[in-house]
Amino acid sequence: MKVPVSWLREYVEVDATTAEIADRLAIATGEVERVSRRGVADVDGNLGLYRVGRVLEAGKHPNADRLQLCRVDVGEAEPRQIVCGAWNFGAGATVAVALPGAVLPDGRTLERAKLRGAVSDGMILSEKELTIGEDHTGILVLPEAWEPGTPLGDVLPLGDEVLEIEVTRNRPDCLSVYGIAREVAALFGGELRLMPGAEREPTGEETPAVVVEDFEGCPRYIGCLFRDVRVGPSPAWLKSRITAAGMRPISNVVDVTNYAMLALGNPLHAFDFDTLGGGRIVVRRARPGEEFTSLDGVLRKLDPADLVIADAERAIAFAGIMGGLDTEVADGTTSVLLEAANFEPGTILWSSERHSLRTEGSNRWEKGVDPYLAPHAARLATELLLELAGARWTGDTDVRGDLPERPVVSFRPERANRIVGVEIPEQEQKDALVALGYEVARGWEVTVPTWRARDTTREIDLVEEVARVHGLEKIPFTLPLRSAMDGRLSRDQRLRRLVEDSLVGAGFSEVYTLSLAGSDPHPGALRLPDPLTSEHAVLRTTLLEGLVRAARHNVNVGNEDVALFEVARVYLPSGDELPDERWHVGAVAAGGYARAKGALETLYGALRIEPRPERTSEQFLHPGKAARLEAGWVGELHPTLLEGSWGALELDLPTLFAQAREHVVYEDVISYPALRQDLAFVVDEEVLAGELVAAAREAVGRELHEARVFDVYRGDPIPAGKKSVALHVAFLSPERTLSDEDARVLRERIVTALAERFGAELRS
Amino acid sequence: MDPKALENEARSAIAGASTLSELDEARVRYLGRKSELKQALREVRDPETGRILNSLREELEEQVAVRRGELEREDLDRRLTEEVLDVTLPGQARPRGHLHLITQIRREVEDVFLGLGYSVVDGREVETTHYNFDGLNFPADHPARSPLQSVFLNGDVLLRTETSPSQIRVMEQQPPPIYMVSLGRVYRRDTPDATHTPVFHQVEGLAIDRGITMGDLKGTLLHMMRALFGEEREMRFRTHDFPFTEPSLEPDVSCFLCDGVGCHVCRFSGWIEIAGSGMVDPALFEFVGLDPEEWSGFAFGMGLERVAMLRHGLPALGMLWENDLRLLSQF
Ligand SMILES: [Zn+2]
Repeated sequence: MKVPVSWLREYVEVDATTAEIADRLAIATGEVERVSRRGVADVDGNLGLYRVGRVLEAGKHPNADRLQLCRVDVGEAEPRQIVCGAWNFGAGATVAVALPGAVLPDGRTLERAKLRGAVSDGMILSEKELTIGEDHTGILVLPEAWEPGTPLGDVLPLGDEVLEIEVTRNRPDCLSVYGIAREVAALFGGELRLMPGAEREPTGEETPAVVVEDFEGCPRYIGCLFRDVRVGPSPAWLKSRITAAGMRPISNVVDVTNYAMLALGNPLHAFDFDTLGGGRIVVRRARPGEEFTSLDGVLRKLDPADLVIADAERAIAFAGIMGGLDTEVADGTTSVLLEAANFEPGTILWSSERHSLRTEGSNRWEKGVDPYLAPHAARLATELLLELAGARWTGDTDVRGDLPERPVVSFRPERANRIVGVEIPEQEQKDALVALGYEVARGWEVTVPTWRARDTTREIDLVEEVARVHGLEKIPFTLPLRSAMDGRLSRDQRLRRLVEDSLVGAGFSEVYTLSLAGSDPHPGALRLPDPLTSEHAVLRTTLLEGLVRAARHNVNVGNEDVALFEVARVYLPSGDELPDERWHVGAVAAGGYARAKGALETLYGALRIEPRPERTSEQFLHPGKAARLEAGWVGELHPTLLEGSWGALELDLPTLFAQAREHVVYEDVISYPALRQDLAFVVDEEVLAGELVAAAREAVGRELHEARVFDVYRGDPIPAGKKSVALHVAFLSPERTLSDEDARVLRERIVTALAERFGAELRS
Repeated sequence: MDPKALENEARSAIAGASTLSELDEARVRYLGRKSELKQALREVRDPETGRILNSLREELEEQVAVRRGELEREDLDRRLTEEVLDVTLPGQARPRGHLHLITQIRREVEDVFLGLGYSVVDGREVETTHYNFDGLNFPADHPARSPLQSVFLNGDVLLRTETSPSQIRVMEQQPPPIYMVSLGRVYRRDTPDATHTPVFHQVEGLAIDRGITMGDLKGTLLHMMRALFGEEREMRFRTHDFPFTEPSLEPDVSCFLCDGVGCHVCRFSGWIEIAGSGMVDPALFEFVGLDPEEWSGFAFGMGLERVAMLRHGLPALGMLWENDLRLLSQF
């Protein structure tokens, strides 16, 4: 909401400066995005250089066909010679003049200049140059009665400050200058003036025919009829205010409806009464297949849920959103039907979204306008139409459904103090509520004003009113007085951090990839019925696709030694309403199987789990370099997925964490020394090293303290089809020092077991 | 043999040895098997002479050991000074990887609240409208309920639009007092641009106890903002409107780039808008069957990407999802 400050001050009397008002509103009402200055700057006597002038002589410039050479009386002893490019005036016209030295609204400084050989000692101004309106086809012609030499600022709004306030959804009352004025009055203890618009009686007895078929969508409709209307441009002050508030002046009739909306917050509409079929207004839902052309020239296909204003035959306007082209007030219009209505927010929001049509009107209606505001808006518009368009008000019709009662809320000032956390005196609380329009009866029964009835229905809503008027900045910074503490990570959360840290230690960097993928290998993966894009269509069941994409991106930009991981959720179909969300860890790294397996070992080591990989095959993995574990898989990516040798893994963290050993009991590996030996076995190529280690463990039992493969050798003198696998073993007993004889016996058990199971031969 | 003369002669020979081989020569001459002293010791007859000669031998052996130590150390130092190295050459590091910036911020926030005695809750990402909207007091016509703004799987199930549904689930499961934060991914139907992605991260905080005040909300958020943005930060709170809080407050933190003077980051206001907050709306208490007369609480939410962009000067949000190591490895 753009609020011109001069307009605001017309409705509220307050000592505060604009900056003070802006600061306070920002805290208590709505964010003030900026305070801007528009029009002529009020600095260093600049305003004194703008005068009313009277053109004494005007004629063609001797050296330029397109220019006029004028002599203009600006209240000085001698008239000034001014060159002007406009032709919409002649001698005798009263005009707005800027003198040399004036700083123009666009920032330029006007200088005495020679134009095509003729001195120009000032400038005759257009509306646009003064930022009063949009018109730049000619200069601004002023009323004849204005005396030459009069400071222009005395008769025209030359400059103003404008507050740009972001109004929240719950405060449609603040989408008006008067609504903001009410806030300012409450916040500064200022005096709020009566609502503008004098009450008067019509000068005729015409009652336009208004039928409301849908009181749910339109609880109230006031139609005021005006005759002898003269459509023309608005006066400068009106144009200036509308322009400052961010709208475009159109004609006096349309500008008056916009002015009343900006002033009070109730959008209005004016129809050319003579174009209404049957001279009647019908408020109803659209008929199936019905169409009409809105003011912007677009043919709208209506939905039966759209609320429309119709005449006897056809839809002529989107209720509350936009009027129609056929019934628009135009230059020749002489009879006007002014609509001051109230529309239900849901209906307007729905239609406005469906037709992608947002207007100043829909923006207010969709938030809920005070249903009691319509007559005030009608009154203000009527006053202005009589004054500015020479109209006669010949009668009106007021049709209403059941309008809501004002809520009454029981309030406890001490409750407010408990929530806010400071003692606010009861009188101050009462004053705050009264200033905002609440009626506070004995026993703190609070009646809510009509313009807040949607938003304020409970005691807590009144607490907010008291707190914001009191001043949010006066509330101290405190911490809760705790009666309970639970400052711990859960086991899963701790272990997730451990997983992340282990992989970082192993040289992997963490990536974040989107949960929504283009496709997913799981046939039951959850698909969005209406995807954002084809790349964001499925809730993923694996992290692999995102990791491969991230790796590819890094390769493409030339990064080396790429090693990435992600810890995130996947979404498995569960058969229930909601999917099974499971945390996974996935990783991908240049360097093939060994790099991924190494990362896996680091990870398992950190969690104190013994990895037990088994050969497997997966479409996305190298057929000879793929292993499955209880929690997932590790392998080398199939080269069609990503060029080069890439290791990858993906593990289900809950499965992994179920195996993690957190509680460690001391094991005595210190009191007695370990006996270490290296054993090399010749086995068939197909035998897995892991199987040899497992068999050795099984054969020896707990005295085999350590067993690991440290070398695999093929070639002379090992026969083809066989390989030599070298194991490093350590025997240890917690109870005694093992003798060489003990070690021999234990080694023999390994040799025998491996010979029986795998035909392994011990190399000497 | 004159022990005294021998002693003097041997002492100066040992002390005068300037290399280990000279020292060895001296040791052989004065303490070796054929030395005058050893000779005399073998021939000694009376205990008194024996005692004197033995103590002389011990004395000289000690002298040799001390001198040997000195010479060895000199020798070592001489060798070491020859092993000069370019101390600026790279070492043998195994390069670490990097946690994603959002994870780092996430942990910072978690740790701040763990320190305040809060627990960390992992909420669901796929939620029902019951928890995502109804329980959070979103009115029936709230724009967020529209499929134009939120990502639906069907009429009742959607990707959570904020981390707040976890509040309702925790309040249902656990009697107060409750002090929790919940961090994670949230989803909006936003067209990607410099400040929007369809997925981003939020932290949500909730405190419910007897006698929680707006002051407690202010103090808690000040504590967090100072932890994230520096001890000098100040805060102000502006009135706002959220469905799930009443009163609702929008917190601003004083600009850490210009210290409140005004710069492009704070749009020359000195304040940065960074979160949403408020007192838990009584409707939420009623929804989960708690008595709003007995319990009060506050809640807040903040985007982690916004913290990242503000604090680290990232120009665009999408960069955090590109996963370029040139960016990731800076943090
Ligand atoms: Zn700044």
